Amino acid sequence: MNRLNTQISDIRLDNPFILASGILDENGYTMKRVLDEGAAAVVTKSIGISERSGYHTPVVVEIDGRNMINAIGLANPGIDNFGEELKIAKESLKPVIGSVFGSTAEEFALLSKKMEAYGASAIELNLSCPHVKGFGQEVGSDPDLVESIVSEVKRSVKIPVFAKLSPNISDILEIAKAAEKADAYVLINTVKAMAIDIYARMPILSNSFGGLSGPCIKPVGIRYVYEVKRETGKEIIGVGGIRTGEDALEYIMAGASCVEIGTAVHSDGRDIFKKLSLETGKIMKAEKIESIGEIIGAAIRK
Amino acid sequence: MIHSEVINVEENTPTVKTIYFEWKQEAKPGQFIMAWVPGTGEIPISLSSTDTIKSITVKSYGPASDAITKLTKGSRIFFRGPYGRPFSTVRGPTLLVGGGSGMASLRPLITNETDAIVSARSSAELLFSEKITGGELFKVTDDGSAGIRGNPIDALSTIDLRKYKMTYVCGPEIMLKKVYDFLNSRKIKAEFAMERLMKCGIGVCDSCSVDGFQLCRDGSIFSIEELRGMTEFGRTRLTESGKRVFLNY
Repeated sequence: MNRLNTQISDIRLDNPFILASGILDENGYTMKRVLDEGAAAVVTKSIGISERSGYHTPVVVEIDGRNMINAIGLANPGIDNFGEELKIAKESLKPVIGSVFGSTAEEFALLSKKMEAYGASAIELNLSCPHVKGFGQEVGSDPDLVESIVSEVKRSVKIPVFAKLSPNISDILEIAKAAEKADAYVLINTVKAMAIDIYARMPILSNSFGGLSGPCIKPVGIRYVYEVKRETGKEIIGVGGIRTGEDALEYIMAGASCVEIGTAVHSDGRDIFKKLSLETGKIMKAEKIESIGEIIGAAIRK
Repeated sequence: MIHSEVINVEENTPTVKTIYFEWKQEAKPGQFIMAWVPGTGEIPISLSSTDTIKSITVKSYGPASDAITKLTKGSRIFFRGPYGRPFSTVRGPTLLVGGGSGMASLRPLITNETDAIVSARSSAELLFSEKITGGELFKVTDDGSAGIRGNPIDALSTIDLRKYKMTYVCGPEIMLKKVYDFLNSRKIKAEFAMERLMKCGIGVCDSCSVDGFQLCRDGSIFSIEELRGMTEFGRTRLTESGKRVFLNY
């Protein structure tokens, strides 16, 4: 067995690296290429009930080439137009995780059922997009609503359900508890942020606010993964600022079973997946770590 | 964002303007910038000059491009870049095939050994044909108001293409596909500048992808070999929402 193999819920992964939602995952051919080039799985762009064009440009702000703030605005073709893309991505024969967003439990359930019918291997509930009114984080910060969404989706599909939570709330444990019927948590989404151009005297993003991602948010992600793992013991997919094998192992030792990669695709290109597997494997070998499983949560002090 | 001052504005055709500004950054033919009009929008635009003095050549098609065409000498211009993989440059005779404002990204490739097929709807819209001074110029118009009436293929089929070290092509995707088919069957060395809806410019949003390649990062210049076997090229694209649509012929 390859030492990089891992598992999240009942999904087996060749390595711990999954493409994060919102990055190179709108077009089926792109998802297929990312999988063929080394990602163990991909999460699709968040898909809703109806077609949305998203915000006007600028939708991203680059910071120092490694970090960024984005406000794409949940652009998506609508669930009924997405089956074809998922089918193309699945030609890679690797897991495709369907990300969905809605504003009610019924919408989430309907979207999840359709994703399952398209052949998704799992569902990721977007309870955390920081920049669209009425969706994401606004839904994900209401514990009662989160509980009903997760329950309804769990009743509606047989595939595993992952709840992606926001760092932009005062008590993540309260929301994690509300989402405890999920098979795993995905931590964290981007951190709400903004950038102003002083020469234009104006916010750069057309939406003014967006989500910050990249190495600068890694310590925030590590802390959430660690805290939620310690308090709940549930499986976690770690996300936020991972660019190196060391970053990935840090998340895993904080409690993640696998990790998602997003902004590093910007700084390092699609090659990042191969690079991460190589680096992580080398460190594990040098440290005599035989499997990912043996170090999940290894750093947690009870 | 980077900002600079507009030092000159040139009216090229009734609908196209070239905006000149100083930017010391090294940039190569085929690369582009994301030009930002604060409060209005941001769009990708090829550099039509790549020396210390850079330029962009713009046609008004929406709010941001319209605002850029209205910039005047002394205005501030905001942008980020340069982005994209450039054209490969060669020594010796070359051929440019430009459709409409596609000539903008080809302009920095012009040398005194450059021949060009410049095509547009009508004679008034032929862009940068006056810059072809050393080599031979073939004008093509839809309405026959100048040169050959028809499309670039009608000009291509009259030329011995084997004499060129490289053929560079830029224009609407439908035109690119036709030119690609023509050149591919004749085994001609060529590079194509592609255009797709683009949002982020930095290889993450997936709006501009073709067969898993991001135009903003892996392109927007692709060699004829790279285009061979691409299933999306000349066939489908994604809209702003990510919905797949067929290109209109």
